Amino acid sequence: MDTVVKRIIANIKKGDQEAFAELMDLYKDQVYHIVYRMLGNVHEAQDVTQEAFLRAYMNIDTYDEKRKFSTWLFRIATNLAIDRIRKKKPDFHLEDNVPGTADLDYHSQFSNEDPLPEDQLLQLEMQEWVQAEIMKLPPKYRAAIILKYLEDLSLKEIGDILNLPVATVKTRIHRGREALRKSLGE
Amino acid sequence: MACSKNQLQKIHRYMDEEMNDEEQKMLEEHVSDCGDCAAHLKEMRQTVAIVQSTSHFKAPDDITQNVMNQLPKQPPAKKGKVWLQKHPFMMTAATFFLVFIISLASGFSPDANQIAVQGEGQFYVDESNGVVIVPEGEAIYGDIRIENGDLNVEGEVHGDVTLVNGEHIQASAGGVTGEIEEINAFYERIWHHTKIFISDVFSLSSDTTEQTDLSIWF
Repeated sequence: MDTVVKRIIANIKKGDQEAFAELMDLYKDQVYHIVYRMLGNVHEAQDVTQEAFLRAYMNIDTYDEKRKFSTWLFRIATNLAIDRIRKKKPDFHLEDNVPGTADLDYHSQFSNEDPLPEDQLLQLEMQEWVQAEIMKLPPKYRAAIILKYLEDLSLKEIGDILNLPVATVKTRIHRGREALRKSLGE
Repeated sequence: MACSKNQLQKIHRYMDEEMNDEEQKMLEEHVSDCGDCAAHLKEMRQTVAIVQSTSHFKAPDDITQNVMNQLPKQPPAKKGKVWLQKHPFMMTAATFFLVFIISLASGFSPDANQIAVQGEGQFYVDESNGVVIVPEGEAIYGDIRIENGDLNVEGEVHGDVTLVNGEHIQASAGGVTGEIEEINAFYERIWHHTKIFISDVFSLSSDTTEQTDLSIWF
């Protein structure tokens, strides 16, 4: 692990709280991105990211310095995200009607002040579509696919984060990839 | 869809870059002949490309500050220490307990196989057999306590006998007028020590109350 992270963690363990802000700045985007992709909701993603960092701070003494810090941190974050998915009410989709309204769907809930240029709109729709397809995956495949294809982690690292043997990680990636192929091809 | 389950498995291994050169060449040859597998592989590559094309999000700007505001004032490493500082009684109790454990542990000293005898009178210790013998015609007046040895009474013992890690071998002629207590198992020994300890504490405190009572009366 690089020496910068080691030095920061040593300072945090000594009681230097400000050092934790440095650590967060190094990892917050990655953690946020993983949990956003898993949850598909910006508010929940922010909530879970904050919770993950708080837990990392509270348990920093249990972190084994011989291992990669990001693996430990992502494990906390993915566990929290998976817990959140399990507790969540059934997913709703943007096309569903807002409860208590006749024909208002969730699209109308978003403000639409500045119309976006055509290509940006296309890009945004594409993003929404891919995210919606990722959200259709069962959570255990979802986590494996996100870590593999969005974070570009090795199968070994994914296994360490999800606490699974590499063979199981492979199976989940295969199934997730197959499910996405079918749904994206429709 | 791939032409067979076997081929599908191979396509996955190809995607995971787990094939050696030869396997890779074989799959590529198969795909160039088999339309189904070619389509499947193409779709799979497209799927991965689409998923990877999604942009990375940046965390909201205020996220670091939010977390920093929620951090506890005390550094987490010193939690236990602070807790004990706030609860001096627990600190005392913990120390007390520790001393108690140490005194117990000293009972299980390394020379545990050495016979130890407490008591007054005529007896002899057979070290090789681990037996304390009260010979015929001899009488011991008072309590006797033996650790790590058996007791063979051929004479008489007028008092209580306590045996730790040992047995009482009753000889026909001999006799013990008091109580015989054998303490062998580890937990029994702890219980025994606790009993002595508690009875000491209570007799001490009852003495004090008696004295206090007296001073009130007179």
